[in-house]
Amino acid sequence: MAADASPPMGADDGLVGITIDGKSTRVPKGTLVTDVATELGIHIPIYCSHPKMDPVAVCRMCLVHVEKMPKLQPACATYAADGMVVDTQRADVTKTREGMLEFLLLNHPLDCPVCDRGGECDLQDFAFRYGPPSSRFPITDKRHLNKAVVLSDRIELDQERCILCWRCTRYYDEITGEKELVLQERGIHTLINTFDGQPLTSVFQGNLPEICPVGALTHRQYRFKARPWDLQRAKSVCPECSYGCNINVDTRDFEVRRFASRDNPQVDDMWLCDRGRYSAESWNNVDRVRRPAVRRDGTVRDVSVSEAISSAARSLREVLDSSGAGSIAVMGSAQNTNEELWLLQRLARDVLGTPHIDHQLESFPGIGPAEHALAIADVEECSAVVVLGAEPEHEAPVLTLRLRKAATKRGVSVYRIDHDAGADAIGELPAQGVIGVIADETHRDHAARLCAELGRSHDVRRLTITREVNGRGAKDVGALPNSGPGYAGVGAGGKAGREILEAAAAGAIRALVVMGGSLWADGAAELVARAAAKLDVLVVIDTRPGPLSRAATVLIPGHAYFEKAGTVTNTEGRVQRLRAALPPATQTPTETRVLSALAAELGAAGWPADPLHVHRELVAAIPAYGLAGNGGRADFLVAATA
Amino acid sequence: MAEHRLLTKDFGTEGLQTLAVYERLGGYQGLREAFQRFTPETLVDEVKTSGLRGRGGAGFPTGMKWGFLPKDVFPRYLCCNADESEPGCFKDRKLIDENPHQLIEGLLIAAYALQVNIAFIYIRGEYFDQRLLLERCVEEARAAGHIGNDIHGSGFSCDVIVHGGAGAYICGEETALIDSLEGYRGQPRLKPPFPAIKGLYGKPTVVNNVETLSNLPHIVQRGGAWFKSIGTEKSAGTRLFCCSGHINRPGTYEMAMGTPIRELLEEECGGMWKDRSLKAFQPGGGSMQVLLPQHLDLALDMDAVQQAGSSLGAGAMVFMDETTCMVNVSMRLVDFYHHESCGKCAPCREGTYFESDLMHRLEAGACTSEELNTLADICDNMNGKCFCPLGDTATWFVMSAYKAFRDEFEAHCGAGSCPVRSGTAQLVTA
Amino acid sequence: MLGAATRKEITALRDRYPHPRSAILPCLWAVQNEQGFLTVEGMTEVAEILHLVPSEVQAVSTFYSMYFQKPAGAHHVLICVNVSCALRGADDIVGHVERRLACPSGGTTADGAFTWESTVECLGACGGAPAMQVDHHFHENLTPDTVDALLDRLRSVPGAHAGAGATPSGPHPPTAETPPLATAEGPPAGAAPPTERAETPGPRTGTTANPRGPRSRPRRRPRPSPDDL
Repeated sequence: MAADASPPMGADDGLVGITIDGKSTRVPKGTLVTDVATELGIHIPIYCSHPKMDPVAVCRMCLVHVEKMPKLQPACATYAADGMVVDTQRADVTKTREGMLEFLLLNHPLDCPVCDRGGECDLQDFAFRYGPPSSRFPITDKRHLNKAVVLSDRIELDQERCILCWRCTRYYDEITGEKELVLQERGIHTLINTFDGQPLTSVFQGNLPEICPVGALTHRQYRFKARPWDLQRAKSVCPECSYGCNINVDTRDFEVRRFASRDNPQVDDMWLCDRGRYSAESWNNVDRVRRPAVRRDGTVRDVSVSEAISSAARSLREVLDSSGAGSIAVMGSAQNTNEELWLLQRLARDVLGTPHIDHQLESFPGIGPAEHALAIADVEECSAVVVLGAEPEHEAPVLTLRLRKAATKRGVSVYRIDHDAGADAIGELPAQGVIGVIADETHRDHAARLCAELGRSHDVRRLTITREVNGRGAKDVGALPNSGPGYAGVGAGGKAGREILEAAAAGAIRALVVMGGSLWADGAAELVARAAAKLDVLVVIDTRPGPLSRAATVLIPGHAYFEKAGTVTNTEGRVQRLRAALPPATQTPTETRVLSALAAELGAAGWPADPLHVHRELVAAIPAYGLAGNGGRADFLVAATA
Repeated sequence: MAEHRLLTKDFGTEGLQTLAVYERLGGYQGLREAFQRFTPETLVDEVKTSGLRGRGGAGFPTGMKWGFLPKDVFPRYLCCNADESEPGCFKDRKLIDENPHQLIEGLLIAAYALQVNIAFIYIRGEYFDQRLLLERCVEEARAAGHIGNDIHGSGFSCDVIVHGGAGAYICGEETALIDSLEGYRGQPRLKPPFPAIKGLYGKPTVVNNVETLSNLPHIVQRGGAWFKSIGTEKSAGTRLFCCSGHINRPGTYEMAMGTPIRELLEEECGGMWKDRSLKAFQPGGGSMQVLLPQHLDLALDMDAVQQAGSSLGAGAMVFMDETTCMVNVSMRLVDFYHHESCGKCAPCREGTYFESDLMHRLEAGACTSEELNTLADICDNMNGKCFCPLGDTATWFVMSAYKAFRDEFEAHCGAGSCPVRSGTAQLVTA
Repeated sequence: MLGAATRKEITALRDRYPHPRSAILPCLWAVQNEQGFLTVEGMTEVAEILHLVPSEVQAVSTFYSMYFQKPAGAHHVLICVNVSCALRGADDIVGHVERRLACPSGGTTADGAFTWESTVECLGACGGAPAMQVDHHFHENLTPDTVDALLDRLRSVPGAHAGAGATPSGPHPPTAETPPLATAEGPPAGAAPPTERAETPGPRTGTTANPRGPRSRPRRRPRPSPDDL
């Protein structure tokens, strides 16, 4: 123990001095004792308390001694006060912990060997660390309940394991507001259940097993699939939408077993949507492009990668020489990393000299950074937020939880209006503060009009929810026909995605380089087929077989999202790292290396090939990305003035 | 000194439950006088002067409780706690059955002092007839202008809502009562914030017991100083004592505070039945620690009883004669808390389950003496560690009985049946 | 679907409180009054009228012991076995009723006339111990004979059933079973003294003696009506 046990007092700086186990610190008023302890590196065991929810103090595990208090106090619900002296190690505190653990284990089945949670269970961990060595309760008198209540197609409940910490019911009350899971009955008979046993319908159920401190709520998808110590974990970003929720990708035997949330208060606030979370196993699909191939005179031949790259370079050069740069187009996808798209647009603009570059079929007239001025977390700082239509929240479901948090905990007025409604449909907006306007990509025009209208009297900030995980990054790095890297002007511009394919079908575009096009090609198979039939050269770098790979003249296997490193940018401009979570399903080099080699074959030597080196080049070229750093937000409006 | 009748003075009067009879006996004069002679502030002061302490069990000074309300925060709410369900306690039912208008008048006086425009009476679900009676009386009072807008030209308006519970002892805890009244599961809330700051609907709220409120018409009419002169220095006024168990005349008796318990037992209750001797008694209802015959000379005074290691609680006296098995009584009380635990916090929910399991085995003579140590230990792990006092009180009687009648508890261990009932053990009481 | 009168009553109850949600307990009484127990449909309708989610209504309803989650007998008998009653022979009354009705505590008689149970939740009739409630009304200073007489009388009377009772905020029904006002003060004149064997509380009988058994919960509480008895 430190010699100085008296907490610092005095200085009126809005802070209070508190001492825990002899360690003193000053913290802002309103800080919970448990948070102070965490800051001081002192562990206080807790089940019910959850950083994202209000304290309830029901598990009584965190009872600590506070000087001048007659009874032990729950650290999770006691606020630091000036001069407070807390002891977490006294004999009465440790005895109480043992007692609480004995109570919690009284009716717990202790089926750890077959529990999904075994190895990452707070009950196990705390029992190991603080628990009594044995139970004095007769094992024959334990309560027995239903061990496999199917709450939905996604979640299963083991009633015996539940320690009634109220996290799941509070989650449904405070976080989603849906109140699907509630407490029923009373006393020892209390259990969590849905109304009349009806299935859960929330699109945010997948968070339940994660907040459950024990193995009561489990993912049906993951049930009995792995033990935590079997899993290999890689930090990544959820691939399902542009919101950019941070995840841990847990793999076992080279297969994705689950996505686990990785709290980023700026983005996901630790919540994932079910669409994202339960897409995990889809990445184990073995239907992949595996070998490089070249089609010549109607026959497809497997070749080496270098041969494929040389072949691609040769045929592109031929078209360039015969028909000119304007007859060549380049397309990426919104699931490529920033680094890949950066090199791809350089290939188009710097090497092939074509303005025809895009990353999706739809065009983006008038694109600019102003439509992404509102950051996700800033929604909570707005005085009001206007959401146009259901699409933004459908596109990025976790946005719903942020809006709810803003409304319930920060008092933000949230208006959801029809796409075609004007400012008059909103009603009286607060005079002060920032008004956020959120729309999806298809209603950009309407959002712009509304912002112009509201902007006359209010400080308005817009957020367009982009499509796909890196739709925003593609635009930032200039994988657009009408905007260069960092939204630099590009003169007359080129053809947008759909125009490129139509020009190809009409014979005006002779050669096309596509990277990751399977993301959009399946939805436009007919157009792709017409274009492919007319193209002289179709270079395809892709992971999945489809209309593009089948028609390719040069086919190079790509790396799936979880097989590579790089960065992606979420809808608000946050640049986040991906790390390889799975070994690649192909032996070809990663896309950046392929593009670098292709450029070299076309005469542009010295390009970076490793994603990290490409990223350095990208950051140097786009100052906003430099300012953002790793995990920061690329703010082009600020970068422009800096 | 026999019964000191203040709240009960008109009990038994034919038709007292009607407004006409109540008014004929001077009813609602207290309310009128409150308007005429007091401002809300001076009325609060008068109640402080009276030394009136809460009659629900904790004995907190009523005037001080009222004084905690933050100034200028409105609306405020007042709740009458008629969720009486402490084992051994039935005085609130008696007060409502016999003189419902006295309660309503007291409620309105408190509402005026606190500037409350909606006052609730939360009455337990089992008191069905009492609820209907109160509802009828509220309508009568409303029709007579005692309830409603601008009552008796005072400019003060108040509505009274009688709200029935549905069977949950825990709703007698004031924050649980508020939760229940708001339409939630009646489970206690985290304190702070205290109800005086953030109670019903998040507004300043006072919760007072039926008997506490029933005192108010008398305090207003006869003055705080007069009230203070009754009883003892720290326990002013009278109290209704609910006497039950092995006595000749069970019932409620209103006594001035300070009267010796022996007098209550021997004169009012007619002594122990069948000429048997007293083995033990509970002075404050099921929650409170057991007292022994030598404590009979204690005064009926909150502090005196507290010094003896128990509490007057809600004024429920349960007397037990020499044939009583203390293990059985403990078991029943433990079962009660096990049944009534709301399940919110782990030590109460699981602890009462453990306790109940153990007590049943002990009562059946199937425990080892080692398990008595376990019993003491789990009680220690519960007492003071639970979310609300329910879990704490679930240990008080059984622990005090274990201390006072250790031999009897030990005689049960391994006996195969209850030795008291089968008469196989010669018991030594402490 | 609840009847129009019940819906109207629920709506009126909702409007009585500063916040609609406060009306949940009285509204559940209204549902039980009409339907005999809390049906899923009834709870859903209460939720709808009070602007709540049905799960919230069920969460509340299961917390309180007086609501029935499934149908029960025409009359409901609740016998207190807490300390004060036990000291004066409640266990004998319980044993007697169990034999008389030939079903365990918490059960319903074969003819559907009675649902009965013993409860440790003190009924607040300690002064008239042993005591019980029948269809909400107190009966005190019980002896096996008075219990027999009461059960016989009730058996011949149809139970207060769906919709027949007083509304929660309705008038006070003048029934013969309303306890005489003096009962809490001691045995009424002429009442038989409690029997000798009833002095020491014995072990609790029936299924409720097991703390691990299901919590004995009253299933349906019929409302008394003027035509009751």
